[in-house]
Amino acid sequence: MTQAPGATSAPARPAPAGPPPAAAPAVAAPPGIDAAQAQRLGEDVPRLLNRLQVGAVALCLVFGVLAGLVQLLAWQGSGRAADNTEQLVRVQAIETSLYRADALATNAYLSGGLEPAEQRAAYESAIEQVLADLTAAAEAQPADREALTALAGEVNRYSTAITQARDGNRQGYPVGKAYLAEAGTALRGEAAAVLDALVAANTERSEEELQAHHPVWLVVLAVLVVLGLWFVNRQLAQRFHRRINLGIAVAAGVVLLATLVAAAYGSARNGTAEELQAGAFRTAVEEAEARTAANDAKAQESKRLINRASGQTAEEPWLAASAIVRDNTTRLENWRFYVEVHERVVLADDDGRYDDAVQLATDQSTSAFDQYDEIAAGEIDQASDEVTAELRSRGFSLVLAVLLLLAGLVASGAVAWGINQRRREYA
Amino acid sequence: MRTRPTRSRAVLAALALAGTLLAGCGYDATMVPTPETAAEEPSVPPPSTQDCGDPTRSYAPDGTVAQLRDGRGTREIERRNRLVVGISADSYLLGSRDPISGDFEGFDIDMVRAVARAIFPLTAAEAIDDRITYRVITAADRIPALESGRVDLVVRNFSITCDRWEQIAFSATYYESGQQVLVISDLADAVDGPEDLGGLRVCAPDGTTSLTNITDVAPEDAEIVTAANHTDCLVRLQNGEVEAITGDDTVLAGLSAQDPYAVVPAGQESFSREPYGIGVSADNPDLVRLVNAVLEQSRTDGTWEASYNQWLRPELGPATQPQPVYGRE
Repeated sequence: MTQAPGATSAPARPAPAGPPPAAAPAVAAPPGIDAAQAQRLGEDVPRLLNRLQVGAVALCLVFGVLAGLVQLLAWQGSGRAADNTEQLVRVQAIETSLYRADALATNAYLSGGLEPAEQRAAYESAIEQVLADLTAAAEAQPADREALTALAGEVNRYSTAITQARDGNRQGYPVGKAYLAEAGTALRGEAAAVLDALVAANTERSEEELQAHHPVWLVVLAVLVVLGLWFVNRQLAQRFHRRINLGIAVAAGVVLLATLVAAAYGSARNGTAEELQAGAFRTAVEEAEARTAANDAKAQESKRLINRASGQTAEEPWLAASAIVRDNTTRLENWRFYVEVHERVVLADDDGRYDDAVQLATDQSTSAFDQYDEIAAGEIDQASDEVTAELRSRGFSLVLAVLLLLAGLVASGAVAWGINQRRREYA
Repeated sequence: MRTRPTRSRAVLAALALAGTLLAGCGYDATMVPTPETAAEEPSVPPPSTQDCGDPTRSYAPDGTVAQLRDGRGTREIERRNRLVVGISADSYLLGSRDPISGDFEGFDIDMVRAVARAIFPLTAAEAIDDRITYRVITAADRIPALESGRVDLVVRNFSITCDRWEQIAFSATYYESGQQVLVISDLADAVDGPEDLGGLRVCAPDGTTSLTNITDVAPEDAEIVTAANHTDCLVRLQNGEVEAITGDDTVLAGLSAQDPYAVVPAGQESFSREPYGIGVSADNPDLVRLVNAVLEQSRTDGTWEASYNQWLRPELGPATQPQPVYGRE
């Protein structure tokens, strides 16, 4: 066995396995060495080195695994945020399509048996869109399935009632109006309640997961690891002549660098997510609300004429829906263009010029409304695409997770090498 | 070395922890709002408390139509050059809109036109609608519309009652209606009246006298279902939720005309009396006298009979115009 440098003539050699060697006070301390040093002279340094090495390597490996895990969870979180946002957009699209179908069906009702074929086709495709989105939504989010099943039942009830209304209307029977009223109740009553629940649940899920990264944890881990490595370094420095062990320094450096990169990236992503939330995400949600309310208003305009009511109470549903549009839309000028035509419809009806009112409602009012609807739909698509694209560009997160794991491995390798250097000096 | 197994065990433990975390925390299921099964008590209108003798007593016309048309009753109408009338737009056969021509049509509408022709004799018969402003009103709005002066007349299957005489005036009875039942066609032979409704579900609109009356006369094991209005009752009949509907025979005729499988059993006796009158503001008895004169004229020149035969006879069978009762001052 080689003697540690600085040791004097062979002291009693302690037993290799067993309790820590009792300090060998029997040996008289040579001059120039204090008690602590003397105690150390009696230590089994190789065993200490082994322990330090194992501890440090384990620390670095654990860092690699945990940090990689944290980053992986953040990557997953981003993916979930994107999924939830898509689901929210989907659910709102279902709501909008249903009200769009209602606006089309009620407007067509005014034309009786002479409803324009394109309007009928547009109604059919709106209902088809609802069903397609329902299926996609049920597949995407199992937690929504029960609510979506209930909604499917209501949609069925609605479209059946509309069909019966159309049949009655075609024969000129007032009973068609009763079916139309039933359809309206199915939509604005039960279906709306389920849709509200779905929108609320998915909004909550999206907003919670938007800030997917938690760079604080990475920093805490790194700090703990560096502290541990510093402790190991100190232990070595006390027993050997070098103040800083190269391997440990390299390991600490690697850990810090990797953490810095990951934490910076995480903060940046969180910042982007916050911007998105206030910007494109809010736009997508609010514009969808506006578009739904707009279609509700158009339906109320037709219903007013169908039910031949006049006076203020007849306008209240339209006014309520219009207020929601004004509060939420970004395309106010386009909405106002439709509102002007609507006011002419109301004027004609209140004056008793019913046929003029119907003419306006089925012609100019519809085309004015359609231009707003199309523009709003474009806004929603653009905003929601922006949000999901941004959230899904998260590939680098996964790379960072692997990087952190590698950093842990490299650090553990560096530490092992560094300590081995010291052990060689013992040999 | 002894340390290797310890190290690998630690790594394995960390990976296992990772696995459970990654297994995916599921989301709470979205809560489905439970529909409110509001089993409300159907609202029944309070029983009539007034007793004014015979409510069908109206103001006697003190002249012919020609003499009365330029009197005080029509001053405002002639100044306006239009007659404003409150009507229904979805009581089939009584007052509804022809979807093709866009005109109003029905038994009540014919009464409106008869009065308008009397007030504006120089207008050609085909153009008489130019002298009429039709205001579609709900049943609940009949009295307020007259009291506020928004309309000159209300012709909207308006039953004459003592209570209503407190607020407005009525013409003489222009049709003697009564409450009956309508059933699905394969029960038409078995059911002759409300007493045969045992074991069946019968519909009546909420808050109407139809509901009060059927509750009184229907057998114990008949189930009474309420709806928003009579057309809603037809919807329920068509959907198989009820087998019978009860209401005024004119309303039932309108429902029956819309659905060949909804039939008013022939020769049925009404189990309540609903005399229809034309509603006029209480401040205008002269207009009431004019309307009564018009009704008498339509008896003699056959207008009433022609109108009844066109609209109501196919569903309800033959009937005659009721005799007027006068004597109110």
